[in-house]
Formats: sequence, structure tokens, C-alpha cells
Amino acid sequence: MTKNLNRRGFLRTSMAGAAGIMAFSPSKMAVPPEIQENDVIYRTLGKTGLKIPVISFGVMRADNPGLCKAAYEKGIKLFDTAHGYQNGNNETMLGNVLKDYPRDSFLLATKIKPVGLDKEGKPTKQTTTDDFLEKFNLSLSRLQMDHVDILYVHSVDNPEVLASKPVLEALKKLKKEGKIRFTGFSTHRNEAAVINAAAEKGKWDAILTSYNFMQTYITDLQKAINKASEAGIGIVAMKTLAGGGFFDKEKTKAINTTAALKWALSNQDITTAIPGMTDFAQLDQNIKMLTNITLTDSERNDLVVPTAESGLYCNGCSTCVSQCSRNLQVPDLMRAYMYAYGYSSTSMAYSLLKEAGVSDNPCGDCCECTIDCIKKFRIREKIADISRLVNVPEDFLT
Amino acid sequence: MVKRLLTGLLLVIVFGSASGQEIMFPELSGYRKNTDFQVFGPDNLWDFINGAAETYLTYGFADLHIAEYKKGKNVIKLEIYRHIDHIMAFGIYSTERSPSFNYMKIGAQGYVTDGSINFFKGNYYVKIRTYSKSEKTLESVESLALRVAEMLEGSSDMPAVLAVFPSSGKKINEEMFINESVLGHKFLNRAFKANYEYGPDSFSLFIFDCKSPEEAWKSAEAYLASCGTDALESASGKYVITDGYNGTIFLAWKDSRMVVISGLSKDQADIADQYTTDVLR
Repeated sequence: MTKNLNRRGFLRTSMAGAAGIMAFSPSKMAVPPEIQENDVIYRTLGKTGLKIPVISFGVMRADNPGLCKAAYEKGIKLFDTAHGYQNGNNETMLGNVLKDYPRDSFLLATKIKPVGLDKEGKPTKQTTTDDFLEKFNLSLSRLQMDHVDILYVHSVDNPEVLASKPVLEALKKLKKEGKIRFTGFSTHRNEAAVINAAAEKGKWDAILTSYNFMQTYITDLQKAINKASEAGIGIVAMKTLAGGGFFDKEKTKAINTTAALKWALSNQDITTAIPGMTDFAQLDQNIKMLTNITLTDSERNDLVVPTAESGLYCNGCSTCVSQCSRNLQVPDLMRAYMYAYGYSSTSMAYSLLKEAGVSDNPCGDCCECTIDCIKKFRIREKIADISRLVNVPEDFLT
Repeated sequence: MVKRLLTGLLLVIVFGSASGQEIMFPELSGYRKNTDFQVFGPDNLWDFINGAAETYLTYGFADLHIAEYKKGKNVIKLEIYRHIDHIMAFGIYSTERSPSFNYMKIGAQGYVTDGSINFFKGNYYVKIRTYSKSEKTLESVESLALRVAEMLEGSSDMPAVLAVFPSSGKKINEEMFINESVLGHKFLNRAFKANYEYGPDSFSLFIFDCKSPEEAWKSAEAYLASCGTDALESASGKYVITDGYNGTIFLAWKDSRMVVISGLSKDQADIADQYTTDVLR
């Protein structure tokens, strides 16, 4: 099968993988003062004034109305969905549940993605107010509500979206019509730059951002979050489990999910987190954090990333190149290894090896590997493993 | 010799998880085809569809191939999601379909909605969409969908288990396959679900086709145990239990098949019995 991974795409993947090497200590962060009512910890979402329990519900993957009902009954107030989740079925399911409860007893957030964003996430002429409004009105009918509390512009990777006239006009109109109470955006990539841009403008009410202990750029992100928070923008955290909930790509080392959530909430600028839940066991585990988000020493230790489990993905930092006594282009070799073992594409790995002029035994008689990989890859073993591929006839490659 | 063996081992490892046909995107008359897009795998699907990726991963997502067709300002985007088998492809397709869509016979099943055609065939879930409202572009979307369906290998049938659901009262095009945490329980996996209307009442019926009678028994036993009930028999059984989260549950199993009904009350045991008997006969 032909796999068409371009270099840019690969680098982005590599950076995601690089998150695995962070051993960030959350102990330096101050635990914020919270309001507690009936033991439930509430924080206020910036200038919106919305008082929200620290644990909310990312409904995204849930398909069982019973789970949403149980979450509501157990004290969760903010339910987060999106126009696109399950092609709209998620909003429909959630609407069927929430319509039975008093409207002022819960908070509802949904998201609309503007059409026509280009490859860099910038709005184009195809980005229109009408499309945005049409989608939102469909969402509202699926939810069986006359308004939502927070409408996020979905997945903003480029600050230019925040200044998009068609999008801003749509939000203004919806706010005027009383169909939305507060405006925000969600961001999954380039978060710090997007959040900084919003903080400078200051007119957004809320930001839903990826935020977890594995992010390599966490310092920049925390600064941006703090800046936005000081500008009165409420911050909601998502992806607190670093995507898949495992330290390694092979999914053998599970992350302590409670610790990861508590870590995110130990940042006083985060109002609430929206963990995705699909079963009652997860719900019960997360509900406990409504009343206790103190990170224990043991939990803190669980968040130290095991360096031996840093996965398949090379950062491309190139520190190794100068350390290699044979001047091998080790990042290329690691990339080939990832193509073969991560993407099951021996043809891509083969092409890369050929392009780099790699022999079937590039380490040769080199006795001891002098490379100290920051991801703790066993470089010599991986090179020996992948370089054998150059001897395989091309016809056999996938 | 050693080198050959090692190379062979490497190929076994890499070939082992790389089954499936090569994706050849068809041409579309008058449109310029662009296939210069990254192929996404389980590790980076997040980069393309963000949080929605988790649901795809739950259904054995293998890879995603993308092409774009352009004619002037009109753009048609084609996404082909490959999953590990036909049932998983149906599973992800079923999470995103709605009975209100306009269904068409394409692949195993497909539908048209708001400038999009989605369908599944074999191990593939295909999504084709345009933001254009022009009639001609929408016709091109359909033409492209038919070509892709023709090109893709695999079964054009719905999963066979769906035929086991009793037809009386069944809501059309609401059947689903749920791969994990059925009814929100971690110990219940891989069930087909259909929704029913029975007079003024509605309920859901789940069919678990297990690998063996032992597995069916263990699943039933786990569910009963979670509700504080001990099962006395293993080969088959019928129980009504109170699930603290889902209310009254009718649970029955026989051989390798387990049936669960939720949404009926205890005094509607006759209805539950009628349906479970039908499925387990």
C-alpha cells in the first residue's frame, strides 16, 4: 500500500511523539483557591461568571444516554459536544437527555467548524457567515434547545481565524438573537500562538485548549493560558490524558488518568476539564475528583514519563548526528524505522534508506554506540534492524 | 542464511499488519485530482479530525487516504477510512448515520446529506463531500462515489447478524455495532444494537455473538454479578435484573449468543421473552 507521508506531516507527528520525553514537575504549581459547595469544587470561567465544577463531561464518544443522565445526577454541570461529533448523532443523543432537566441546571457547549479553511488553517473566501449559521441552527435543533451557553469555533490552529469577519459576524448575530451566551474557540495545535492572539484581543469569553503533562511546549502554553486568563478569558482543558491515555505508542504503559486530570487542574488558570467518558467506571473515577483534586506524591510520581518507553517517534532534534562517530544521518534512519514499524510501510522506509545511501550495516564494526538519544532510543539496535531492509527486493515491499 | 532469516522476520512483522488493497483514486471528468495528502494512521489521525479520532480508533481504524478534486472554485474532498474488518467499518459508519438521511444503494449502504455522500463497503468507510451547492457538483459527487464504490474491494452486504433482529417494530436504519463498553459497561463488548417501537413503548435490543458458549456465559455471568445476581446455569438462561445505571434489563443467552434488552419495565417480561426467544431460537 502506498503511504504518502510528506516531510511536514512527518515532522508534526514527530513533535507529537516528542511529548513523551517531558518529565514535567507539577509540584511547583500552586493549588488555586476554590469555592466549595456541598463538597463540590467550583471555579469561575473568566469574565463569564459561570461557576463550573472542576470536572465536566466531554460527551464526544458517548453513545449511551444513561451515561449522560448518570453524569448529571452525580453533579456534572457542563456537557461538551460538537456539530461534527458522530455526524450530529452526539448532539441528538445529548439533547434527548438534557431536555428532561431544568435548563438552568446544566451548561451546554457545542462547537462549529468554519468551512473553507486552507491547509494552514487560515480562512478563505469559502468561509462564510451563512454556512456557520446554518450549521449552528442545525446543532440547536438537534440539541432541542433555544440556546447554548458556550459556542466554540471548532479547532482553531491559526490566529487568523479569530479575526475572520464571516465567523465574527455569525457569532455576533447569534449572540444578539440570544442563541448563544458566550463565545469561544477550541485549539488543538499551535495553541500558544492562538491563545496569545486571543489574549491580546481580549474579546473572547472562553478557550477550550489541549493541556496535558506530556506537551513539550508546556511552558509556552502555560504562559499563554495565564495571559488569556488575566485578560478575563475562561480556560477549559481537554486532551488531559495526552491523546490516547498511554505513555507509549504500543499502548502497554497506561497513564494514571486521575493523576493526569489532577495535574491539569493544579493550574489555577484552568476552570474545568472535559474528560471523555464512555463507561460508568470512568465516570465514577472522575466523579471522585469533583470533591478532591489534590495530587498525591504517588500520583505525581506516576506522571514522570518512563524514558525507556518513548515510543517509535524520533523528534528530529539531530543532536545525535554530531555524536555519531560515523556521521550517520540517524534521524533519517529513525524515520525509516517508524515508517516500517509504525506505519507498516516498508516501501517508504526502503525509499528513505536508499535516498540516504544507507548500507545494510551502517554501524559496521563500530564497537560502542556513542549516541545518547534524548528519547533514549536504542539507536544501534534500531539501525541494525531497519538497515537490513535495503537487501529486500523492492517487489516484496508494502 | 542468518541475514535471510532476519529479513524474512522483518517482512513478516511489517507485512503482518499491512493487508488491504492499494488505494487508487479514480479520475473525475473535468476535475483536477490532487492526491498529495498525508496518509494518516492510528498514531496521527488526531492531526486530521482531532478528538473525533478516538471513536475511529475504537473501531479498529487502520489508515486514511485523502484526495481532492477541483474544478474552478468547486472542490470535492474524498476520504477513505480503512478499518480492520467489515464489522468495524459498519460500526464506525453506524455511529454517524441517521434515519433522517436519504439512503442509497452504494457499497453495502450509503446515504446523501447536505452535499455529502457517506458509505461503507468491505473494510472501508468512505466520506465524500463538497461545500458547493451547485447541482452539477452534487452530481459529480455522486458519480465519484459510485466509482470509488466500484473500485474498492470487499463485501457489499450488511453484516449478517443484522438479519437476526426481529423485524416487528424495528426502527429502520438505526442499527449499530458497538465495539466497546456496551450500555456503558466495560465488561460488555462487541454488540449489535437495534431500536424498537412496541405500541407506545420503545426499547433497545443488543445481540452479542461471542466466540464460544463459554464466552457468552462469562459475559452473562459478569453482567449478572455486577447486579448482585448469581447465575445458576451456564448453557442457557433468562434473567431480569436491575442495573443501577440502566434500569431494568432482560438478559438471555444460549450457546454463543447473548441477548440484552433495555428500556422495558419488569411487567413487560412477555414482550422481552417474545423477542429474546425469536433471536435465540
